[in-house]
Amino acid sequence: MQTKLLRVRRVRDLGGDSFALEIDGPIPTTLPGQFFMLRTERHWPVLLPRPFSLFDRAADGSWGSFLIKVAGPGTKALVEQRTGEGVHVTGPLGRPFSDDVLEPVCIAGGIGLAPFLSLARRYRELGRPLPRLLFGGRNQAALAGIEDFAGIARVFASTDDGSHGFHGLVTQLLDSLLVSKVVQPGETVFCCGPDRMMHAVAKLCEQRGLRCFLSLETYMACGFGVCNGCTVEVQGPRFHGWPYSKACQDGPVYESCELSLH
Amino acid sequence: MLETKLGSLRLANPVLSASGTYGSGWEGRTFSDLSRVGGLVSKTVTLRPRHGNPPPRIWETASGMLNSIGLENKGVEWFLADTLPKMRTLGPKLIINIGGETLAEFVQLAELFCSAGIDALEVNLSCPNVQEGKLLFSTDPRMTERTVAAVKRVANVPVFAKLSPNVTDITPIARAAEQGGADGITAINTLIGMAVDWRKQKPVLSRGIGGLSGPAIKPVALRMVHEVAKCVRIPIIGVGGARTAEDVLEFLCAGASAVEIGTASFVDPAVFVGIVDDLERLLTEVGSSVGAMSRSMLRNLPQPPPMHGRQAELPR
Ligand SMILES: Cc1cc2nc3c(=O)[nH]c(=O)nc-3n(C[C@H](O)[C@H](O)[C@H](O)COP(=O)(O)OP(=O)(O)OC[C@H]3O[C@@H](n4cnc5c(N)ncnc54)[C@H](O)[C@@H]3O)c2cc1C
Ligand SMILES: Cc1cc2nc3c(=O)[nH]c(=O)nc-3n(C[C@H](O)[C@H](O)[C@H](O)COP(=O)(O)O)c2cc1C
Ligand code: FES
Repeated sequence: MQTKLLRVRRVRDLGGDSFALEIDGPIPTTLPGQFFMLRTERHWPVLLPRPFSLFDRAADGSWGSFLIKVAGPGTKALVEQRTGEGVHVTGPLGRPFSDDVLEPVCIAGGIGLAPFLSLARRYRELGRPLPRLLFGGRNQAALAGIEDFAGIARVFASTDDGSHGFHGLVTQLLDSLLVSKVVQPGETVFCCGPDRMMHAVAKLCEQRGLRCFLSLETYMACGFGVCNGCTVEVQGPRFHGWPYSKACQDGPVYESCELSLH
Repeated sequence: MLETKLGSLRLANPVLSASGTYGSGWEGRTFSDLSRVGGLVSKTVTLRPRHGNPPPRIWETASGMLNSIGLENKGVEWFLADTLPKMRTLGPKLIINIGGETLAEFVQLAELFCSAGIDALEVNLSCPNVQEGKLLFSTDPRMTERTVAAVKRVANVPVFAKLSPNVTDITPIARAAEQGGADGITAINTLIGMAVDWRKQKPVLSRGIGGLSGPAIKPVALRMVHEVAKCVRIPIIGVGGARTAEDVLEFLCAGASAVEIGTASFVDPAVFVGIVDDLERLLTEVGSSVGAMSRSMLRNLPQPPPMHGRQAELPR
């Protein structure tokens, strides 16, 4: 693994403060759920690089893209890059979603959509059934990026205000899909989104007998396992009795039963 | 041109990793050719496993970051069996940083590592002494001297005393370490700080306070390295905020013989070899060497006047 200085291809404004940052490769092979640390070459306004899931990647790695929502100075600098400017890219990092789940139910909120496009592409390449994607947002504008899933996932959208798709929370959407048997108990959920949503999804999965994996957005410094800062409280055999885990190495994907969700 | 010496320890160049910021080096091995680094300093190893502090443990601040990791590590037994063999395959000189809660623990750790075979020991004196009211070893000259002397008695490799900057005057502590027989001094560890979340009206970090590192602390580190250099004869390893070859040269001039790079490796995991290359280029440019640069400010410059005198001269 290495840090590469790559060039910005273009930045697409997806609306709702979300952007697709496209970068000329070589982008290494990456599994869904893995992430990269990014930092602009010039005028980086902060010290530490920032973690982002890989959103999309050309099959030959000649370009890749990141789905970025502006949250502060680092994300702002990244999406304000112009074509040809440099970005330091380190990765792929972290442990991906389990590749053994053939028909996952993907649940995304907001920017949590990012890991699922490469998942959908991978599943199509491998000739697996189309993954189901439940995508929830406050309103239609919050569903930025969803168009890219046409034809490679079975998309079910929900908005809190009913402006697009199912009217309600993504957990209510999941419940309705359980009723209509689009989702069956015993299946596996892959979830990525805001903490509150992930907690709600994990709780519902537990109640309805679904296995649930969460991709966490833990605050990080190094991203490659040397600072011991990205600590997550954990339990379970994978950790041999140690109460903490490094999200950048053991994660960012954890099974919900491994986490102490409050 | 780049060679340097820390007591009897010869290094190919003065660029070292810092403790706790590059793991054992193993995690970073794919980013660059680590055999080109002067030396690797391990994360602090303690006698027993330590789980460390609950999250959140880190927070970025202006040009720096706060951390309160709490010395999370799996203990010396694991380190000797699992980590040290991996470190040995990486190539550079290995400096093992040890942390004890009592003087006896420091001695035990030193014995274990010296019989396992390493190149040097760095004694992390920013550890609370549980037998002396949890006072940090490095805040007290007497405890510093006794600890260093006890480690020296059992050590068959050079011993460096790593000092805390969180003291009113670092010079008596540095002199105490020299008195105890230290072969060198590492300065500085992190500066204690705090980040506040005003919406929650509480500190950001779980432990309330944390150690400040990164470019923000470089001027403080340079000042302390210089102060220490003026009062001891043993070599100094400078650390605090360095991220470029220029920074390394500044530390050398101020009094260091080698420089550890910490937080900068979070920003660029391959930072060390870049610095080594730049160092070679810069020194070629000016026709100098690490040896000539090291401590040059102590030779070239007149002694600065005492602090109060200097302040009085400043125009208002
Ligand atoms: C594995 C992983 C994958 C990610 N993938 C994506 C992605 O694909 N797209 C995307 O847009 N973002 C993603 N993120 C989040 C992204 O890294 C952050 O939004 C980014 O670091 C913010 O940086 P900034 O400088 O813009 O803002 P900052 O100023 O660093 O942070 C913005 C605000 O968020 C707060 N904050 C940030 N993180 C935390 C935290 N963990 N706990 C508490 N407060 C916090 C800060 O206090 C601040 O108010 C991912 C994070 C992780 C860990
Ligand atoms: C996340 C983190 C963990 C650290 N852990 C240790 C440690 O275990 N032992 C130690 O002696 N110093 C530790 N330090 C201090 C560094 O070795 C170094 O003294 C300090 O960070 C200043 O250098 P820098 O500004 O280059 O990072 C740690 C620093 C950071 C940022
Ligand atoms: S972010 Fe540094 S160890 Fe995970």
